[in-house]
Amino acid sequence: MSDIHRPTLHTAGLAAAEAAINAALRLSPHSKAGLRELAGQVVALECTRPALTVYLNGDENGELCLRGVYDGDVVTRITGSLDDFAELARAEDPAAALINGGLRLDGNSSTLIALQRLFNAVDVDWEAPLVSGLGDVAGHQLASMLRAAFSWSQQTGSNLQRQLREFATEEGRLAPPPLALERFYDDVQTLSERGERLAARVEQLRQRVEARFEAMGKARDDAGRSTIAETWKAS
Amino acid sequence: MADDNTTHFGYKEVRTEEKARLVGDVFDSVAARYDIMNDLMSAGIHRIWKRFTIELSGVRRGNRILDIAGGTGDLAARFAPLVGDEGEVVLADINASMLRVGRDRLTDRGVPGNLFYVQADAQCLPFPDDHFDCVTIAFGLRNVTDKDRALRSMLRVLKPGGRVLVLEFSKPRNPLLSRAYDAYSFAVLPFMGRLVARDSDSYQYLAESIRVHPDQDTLRGMMEDAGFTRCDYHDMTGGIVAVHRGVKPA
Repeated sequence: MSDIHRPTLHTAGLAAAEAAINAALRLSPHSKAGLRELAGQVVALECTRPALTVYLNGDENGELCLRGVYDGDVVTRITGSLDDFAELARAEDPAAALINGGLRLDGNSSTLIALQRLFNAVDVDWEAPLVSGLGDVAGHQLASMLRAAFSWSQQTGSNLQRQLREFATEEGRLAPPPLALERFYDDVQTLSERGERLAARVEQLRQRVEARFEAMGKARDDAGRSTIAETWKAS
Repeated sequence: MADDNTTHFGYKEVRTEEKARLVGDVFDSVAARYDIMNDLMSAGIHRIWKRFTIELSGVRRGNRILDIAGGTGDLAARFAPLVGDEGEVVLADINASMLRVGRDRLTDRGVPGNLFYVQADAQCLPFPDDHFDCVTIAFGLRNVTDKDRALRSMLRVLKPGGRVLVLEFSKPRNPLLSRAYDAYSFAVLPFMGRLVARDSDSYQYLAESIRVHPDQDTLRGMMEDAGFTRCDYHDMTGGIVAVHRGVKPA
């Protein structure tokens, strides 16, 4: 009836994931509202390597439900390897990732795209749990400090990334500049196309030479046969 | 059963009419601390077993569910939001103490009002024929005096095409696990029972009743004999627990 081989582990994993995701979603009111809109629409994620199927849907309370067994109708079924799913999860443009990636999609893709956008847009409001735990004043102060720290770490991270890139290309000459790299890729592409064209021309010439040789051989055979016939007649 | 007039109560042979009272005494004694003992004894894994049982049930909005031996209402609490306002969940238990604890607990948790409580014997369910979409019994069948009669009663109240799910302790497949499980059941469980529920005898009965309960294949055969079709089971935690599923023929 079901192809689950280790139901306890499978169910425990899904229960833990569901609890963690819902805990995060509870702090993101926008995502909860989005999930409520998708209530009852079940999406099947069928992973081929490792073999694992997960059914997910939102419910009326704005919570995510994960199941290992479901025998009702699904609006979307996606099949692929774990790498393909990871690529889709990271994609900035999920529609393009679905079309160009290695995933097979059956059914309506809009629910899946809505879910992916919803998770990418999770914006956790730390103030709510802090205020309810610590009170209005202390909770707000701590949340403001956390927001400032988060914003500072994001800015610092992005600055560090930019400076490292500049050092690697300009100062240390450890990596080529992006423009030079793009030019190099263009040259490689042009060379590859020229190589293909040359190979096609060589093949064309080879066929032409072979046809010429074949015609010459046939003419020589015909000439030989007529000489023998004449000699026979004379004798 | 040893003969027509006796049955098992753990490892003891008792008169058939006595078993219900003896089982009733056990659950009267443990009702107040039933949930905490379940969490302690299974390290919380009983929640995973029940969650998988619910997934297998395939319950939808508007369905009518009967949870027999529902005790403190773990399954019923999960079924209630699944069937919604249009559906109905009946929590049935033969034991009034367990039913009372379950009702208080679910009321305190604000579980939806589509839930009904009925004190009923699994062997002669007081419901009309072809009434429920799904019938579940979790860790209850082994306490029933006449299991075949209970299975036939469940078949009767199910709608054609409806499912029965029997979640019950079973037989571990691995001999090493089986030995460790025996040691745990007969040494640790009664000790825990004495410590937490102040009642080691009831937990001694629990360990014994699991050993005399039919194994996976025997129970499947009993379900088929009762009239269920498409009977199957899933072992969980190495076979310590199994969930059996059967369908009432259309």
